[in-house]
Amino acid sequence: MIDARDDVPVIALSHVVKSYPVGEGEVLAVRDVSLVVRRGEFVAIVGASGSGKSTLMSITGCLDFPTRGHYRLEGVNIRELGDRDLSRIRNTRIGFVFQGFNLIPRMSALQNVELPLVYAGMRAPERRRRAGAALEIVGLVDHAAFLPNRLSGGQQQRVAVARAIATNPALILADEPTGALDTRASAELMALFSQLHAHGRTIVMITHEREIAAYASRVVELRDGAVISDREQVPTTAAAGFSG
Amino acid sequence: MSTVLDNVRMALRGVASNWPRTLLTMLGVLIGVASVIVLLAIGTGSSEAIQNSIESLGTNTLTVFSAGQFSSSGSSVRFTQLNAQSVRLLSSRQNAPDVKSVSPVITTSQTATYGSSTYTTSVIGSTPSYLAASNYTVASGRAITSADVATHAPVVDLGASVASGLFATGSDPLGQQVTLGNARFTVVGLLAAKGSSGLSNADAVAIAPYTAVEDQLTGESTSFSELLVQGRSAATLGLAQSEVEEVLAAQNDTTVANLPFTVLNQASLISTATSSANTFTTLLGWVAAVSLLVGAIGVMNIMLVTVTERTREIGVRKAIGARQSVVLSQFLVESTVISLLGGVLGALAGIGVSRLTIAGVKPVLASYSIPMALGVALGVGVLAGLYPAYRAASLRPVDALRYE
Repeated sequence: MIDARDDVPVIALSHVVKSYPVGEGEVLAVRDVSLVVRRGEFVAIVGASGSGKSTLMSITGCLDFPTRGHYRLEGVNIRELGDRDLSRIRNTRIGFVFQGFNLIPRMSALQNVELPLVYAGMRAPERRRRAGAALEIVGLVDHAAFLPNRLSGGQQQRVAVARAIATNPALILADEPTGALDTRASAELMALFSQLHAHGRTIVMITHEREIAAYASRVVELRDGAVISDREQVPTTAAAGFSG
Repeated sequence: MSTVLDNVRMALRGVASNWPRTLLTMLGVLIGVASVIVLLAIGTGSSEAIQNSIESLGTNTLTVFSAGQFSSSGSSVRFTQLNAQSVRLLSSRQNAPDVKSVSPVITTSQTATYGSSTYTTSVIGSTPSYLAASNYTVASGRAITSADVATHAPVVDLGASVASGLFATGSDPLGQQVTLGNARFTVVGLLAAKGSSGLSNADAVAIAPYTAVEDQLTGESTSFSELLVQGRSAATLGLAQSEVEEVLAAQNDTTVANLPFTVLNQASLISTATSSANTFTTLLGWVAAVSLLVGAIGVMNIMLVTVTERTREIGVRKAIGARQSVVLSQFLVESTVISLLGGVLGALAGIGVSRLTIAGVKPVLASYSIPMALGVALGVGVLAGLYPAYRAASLRPVDALRYE
């Protein structure tokens, strides 16, 4: 997962502004954010609600475009891309983990993990093998056939992580991944993220909880759409492993 | 591409996830398709019934009617009629090369009696050629012959209904004497059943030599009420008609335009009846199409609801790499599956209902109606799904993901 483009930053935001029209005027959700995330970093973006962190997440996830400024993902200016290329980038370069898990309810855990591989056009046997391997990493191989409603919140979120890493993306984007989990499940999930980080994955995680941000190697704090602090730290490592 | 198959599988899962709703939506298409098939079958059935009753008149026949009208040519007014001379003239190969046979017809309604059984039948006095021209075949015994006609022999061929009405099953009517009106006739032949054709029972007939019918029942006359002319082929029936008209006009010193007879061409009768029956069928088809349209609107409605309900799911799918075309085809396939399933079930229901007799008409499945109805159902699925699917595909992922 580490290639020759090691020197190219995974995320390069330069003077990114995002505004929304409100009535006659406009509201600035993100004002002039410049941020570089290098390969292998585990960045927590923290801030109160309304600080612009969700908007920044949408832009870095190629789900939305900046109003002004540039965003380069692995050196590629996403502004210049159409639906086809954007879909391919979201599919192969980014893995999303959402607060509300967002598994497809009618599909088993394995099928959910397979879904991005389906969109990548991968053949069924290879797909099943890859999805199985991803479930193995999150420790849920024996739950592969379960429908989401038969899994606990923590298990669902781990299936979502498996789905995010199935295509072996350059970047894992997690939006309040522990927001819907209890303390124990949160700790297990963060242990999983630490493990992925230790294996060299690049992770950008949005959170408003300090103790969750403590797992990251770098914390970027936003307030009113601007970066007010950006510091590296020694991450908290998982106290113990996790089990299903 | 395996993605197409995966798409179909995903769509099927979507269809199955809310099966009561899917079933109700399908019902709209089902009823639409079934009614198209049934109403077209009723149209086709009634058209065939009309055609059959016309065809029971005979094959490639012209019927010349005379009511003994007066015709005027110049200042002289004279009584014209169809007589033996007309038959002779029309039978000449030279006068009318496209006429195969000419049969004089005398029709009278009589009560047939055998023992204590009675049966009201029409008695047809004619010549042997009448049987062939009218599609009667002899099941047992023999047909009346030219010799019978020449000798005024009181012999009769009984239609199937008359025979079964007079004689007990198992008994042999051949050689028996039946009373027609006041006269006694000997049964020499039994006619094969032609079947009832809706308008009249073609088997309630007794066919005897016209000479004998005149002698015994109607009294000697110099004219016939009707001539049954058989043409050589369907293609030359029009030619035969003009030959008949010219011969009769010449015989009566008049022109074809002033001919005091009505010449009924069976082929033109059929084509007139067929075209009005087709109009009727088309009308029924359109009525059914309206119900199919209502079904289509139901599919579209439910697809819009589905897209709205699954907005978040669409957002997730886009976030993990579904292209617009993939989302579009997912919902298109879903609406097509609903419509096509409804169409197949509707076709089965339509075929089932078409086996029943509806409003006195035996429906006949139009061969084109089933592929047409299925094709329309397919089209309905695609068209009704297009707008909802487009809405889904063009959702911005960021908006779709935030949808609550």
